Amino acid sequence: MIKYIVRRLLYLIPVLLGVSFIIFVLFNLVSGDPTAVLLGKNATARQMAELREQLGLNKPLLDQYFDVVKSAFTFDFGRSWATKQEISQMIIQGAYPSLTLTVPAFVFATILSLIISLVVAFYRGKGIDLFVRFMCIAGVSVSALAYILFFQYFFAYQLGWFEISGFEYGFPDFVPFIALPAIIFVLLSLGPDVRFFRTVILDEIYQDYVRTARAKGLSEVVILLKHVLRNALIPIITYVVIQIPTLILGALLLENFFSIPGLGGITLNALNSSDFPVIKAMAILSSVLYIILSLVTDVLYTFADPRVKLK
Amino acid sequence: MKGLVLILSVLLTLVFGCSKQNNFDEREINLVSPEKISGFDPINASDKYSGNEAGKVYEGLFEFHPLKRPYELMPNLAASMPEASKDGLTYTFKILKGVLFHDSPAFKDGIGREMKIDDVIYSYKRLADPKLSAKGWWVLDDKIVGLNEWREKYSQAEATNYDEAIEGLKKIDDYTLQIKLKKPYPQFLYALAMPYTFIVAKEAVEHFGKEFLNYPVGTGPFVLPKFDQSSMIVYTRNPKFRTKYYPSEGEEGDDKLGLLADAGKKIPLVDKINVYIIVESQPKWLSFMKAKNDLIEIKDVNIQQTLTPENELRPEHKEKGMRLFMLPMLDVAYFAFNHENPIFKNLKLRQAMNLAYDRDGANKLFHENTAFIAHGPVPPGLAGNRKEFKNPYSKLDLEQAKKLLAEAGYPNGKGLPEITIQTRNETVARQQIEFFAKCMDKIGIKINVGMNTWPELVNKVTKKQHQMYTMAWGADYPDAENFLGLLYCPNQSPGSNGANYCNPEFDALYSKATILQDSPERTAMYEKLNEMAALDVPWIYGFNRTDIYLTQAWLKNYKVMEFNHNQFQYLNVDLEVKKQLSKKF
Repeated sequence: MIKYIVRRLLYLIPVLLGVSFIIFVLFNLVSGDPTAVLLGKNATARQMAELREQLGLNKPLLDQYFDVVKSAFTFDFGRSWATKQEISQMIIQGAYPSLTLTVPAFVFATILSLIISLVVAFYRGKGIDLFVRFMCIAGVSVSALAYILFFQYFFAYQLGWFEISGFEYGFPDFVPFIALPAIIFVLLSLGPDVRFFRTVILDEIYQDYVRTARAKGLSEVVILLKHVLRNALIPIITYVVIQIPTLILGALLLENFFSIPGLGGITLNALNSSDFPVIKAMAILSSVLYIILSLVTDVLYTFADPRVKLK
Repeated sequence: MKGLVLILSVLLTLVFGCSKQNNFDEREINLVSPEKISGFDPINASDKYSGNEAGKVYEGLFEFHPLKRPYELMPNLAASMPEASKDGLTYTFKILKGVLFHDSPAFKDGIGREMKIDDVIYSYKRLADPKLSAKGWWVLDDKIVGLNEWREKYSQAEATNYDEAIEGLKKIDDYTLQIKLKKPYPQFLYALAMPYTFIVAKEAVEHFGKEFLNYPVGTGPFVLPKFDQSSMIVYTRNPKFRTKYYPSEGEEGDDKLGLLADAGKKIPLVDKINVYIIVESQPKWLSFMKAKNDLIEIKDVNIQQTLTPENELRPEHKEKGMRLFMLPMLDVAYFAFNHENPIFKNLKLRQAMNLAYDRDGANKLFHENTAFIAHGPVPPGLAGNRKEFKNPYSKLDLEQAKKLLAEAGYPNGKGLPEITIQTRNETVARQQIEFFAKCMDKIGIKINVGMNTWPELVNKVTKKQHQMYTMAWGADYPDAENFLGLLYCPNQSPGSNGANYCNPEFDALYSKATILQDSPERTAMYEKLNEMAALDVPWIYGFNRTDIYLTQAWLKNYKVMEFNHNQFQYLNVDLEVKKQLSKKF
């Protein structure tokens, strides 16, 4: 398994080279010259030329690409072109609010979805199953924005149960600020999660081994929790773990509406201001996370199913 | 089970029990910034919101009078208005004595030292430093004798030498500075009131290095030891702020409005300012309605929630004592033609398109009838905009438009290719172009929408890759030159003349007018330029929008101010009123 992990980690090298190349090509071909945006509405041609020189945009393309590759491997992203802030600091500062919001909400949403899915699988075809399926479809049919606007207006403003917006660093200061967005996050996740988990569990329920278990006289609850759930874990692990990079990159809408200074807002601002170093950092970070978490998924498979061997 | 109940109880207490209550005891004001603040280096404070934050901790030699209108400059760190030579090329400035920088580890023993003329020279040189690529360089570019040469000299060097003397920035003594201009620049003093030219301390810049933008060390009324990119900025009163008084004069009527009640009192009038960064409209509005903020800028969807159809404050807000402030902005929103495209050299086509645009409809739909129809590039409120002048093409006249279109060689739009208007990829921007397209369709002109991110739009305009685009321009300072320059040929793309409009007659008069000091002669020239540009319709004139602000009853001394970087030190809070009204929120 160690060999497998090392080999998979080595895959990071070609992936980072590829990601660097794609980011570099997209930035140079699609977004064009950033200096006009960076210098503002009164920029002169001369000033733009000087800034191009300073940012290294006049260097040969190969050298510029090498700079991107270098930062991808050293994780030294330098400073933001737009805000002049240290990018590593921006990411650390932004990751904290993003994670305080998304991690507890994600964990809670996943556990709750699994419980609901097991219950509806147990009562499949009955009233409760139909009701949950209906609610899931209704839930995913309504835009996330509608939930945010309504919950913020009703629970934070009208009832005054939560803070309307803002964020404070440190526990427990942040709790009143992240409680409502976290609840919305959970509600938004329930629809797709329950539908997926229910389907996966039902796929297992009709397998031969379940019939064997029933023939042996095991109770339905034991069959569901001990046998079905365990066998359904592989697709569930894949589904859950692959979402983790998006948690770190923030929940953009929630962050914006609740004024949570997370990574979502940082990424959006960077896109709007042609801030290439920040865009590059966020893209590279998400690629690395994706690779590492795919590896984690593979390792978790071996725990979920001893038949899986990593070679 | 007991443990679970305990955990749940703690969590619920944290969630519901920790909500922040409004503060009725402390003399503090709560404000909102609708944009994230990128840092506190004055040389890069290019947008209104960064400028507002910089203005709480930094100061310039001059500031705009908080009450007088039209806008009037008054000394701030300068001891008096400068002496100018007869040719308008040499200015002598005296600065206040005894002004202290904020305490900071950058100084010896952490104690802020006195600001002297070397700091002023250093701050202006810093704006010109080629290594810093300051967004504000344009205010001094090609203005001061020797400054561009100094910048040029160090553009390729390893480091910039700040000790090298510059002819145009001459220290007479520790409190006197002489500035020599290359050519008359009547807007120069305005530049010295802008955030770009706020005074910084060399020690602070050197001590904090690249992190200087996070450690503001100024001379201003409030201090902020460290800036974090969070959702809130908290300023406290500068205990060592010099003696500065609330003005005792204002505009006519200010007395009745209570704006002179604090005349002669020492400023700042509050101990603390909290600035909340709230980008979206709904949370901004709801926070204000919960009295968590004292002042809100009303935009878009919140206009309807604020105003009656007659543009008055809605009764439910009046009942809470809220006050409404509406003032025409010094701005102009327009659709620009790219005059390098041969189609748009056709004057009659431009006139026809202007006449086909239903501005009343657009005003109702997008501005709740709060905007004013623009009749030229210079907005009302500035010398150069004659009230009586009405642009004959800034009205809806479909018959005349059709006639002119036929005379232009495109009867009912036949033969005219489809025109693409570039705009930002925002819902309202798209709706505005769609409305415009519907107007043009009535005379047979087909319009497409080109949606762009902001960088894409700027790139297309600076590289002249557009047929038309939409834009709004806000004043940098209260001078028509700032708007007329948008049509001056030498400023064409990548400069601010994105329409690439060139009219030799206009350019010649612009060159003459903009070097004159404020005078009836210059005003007459500005008026001629404005009307020349109006009749030649290089743009489709849209609107001069309105600033709408709502304040809580307890916020005192507020007056809408376009250039409000220094305004916050004059604001006050009536704690009695705040306590009384608290039950209503």
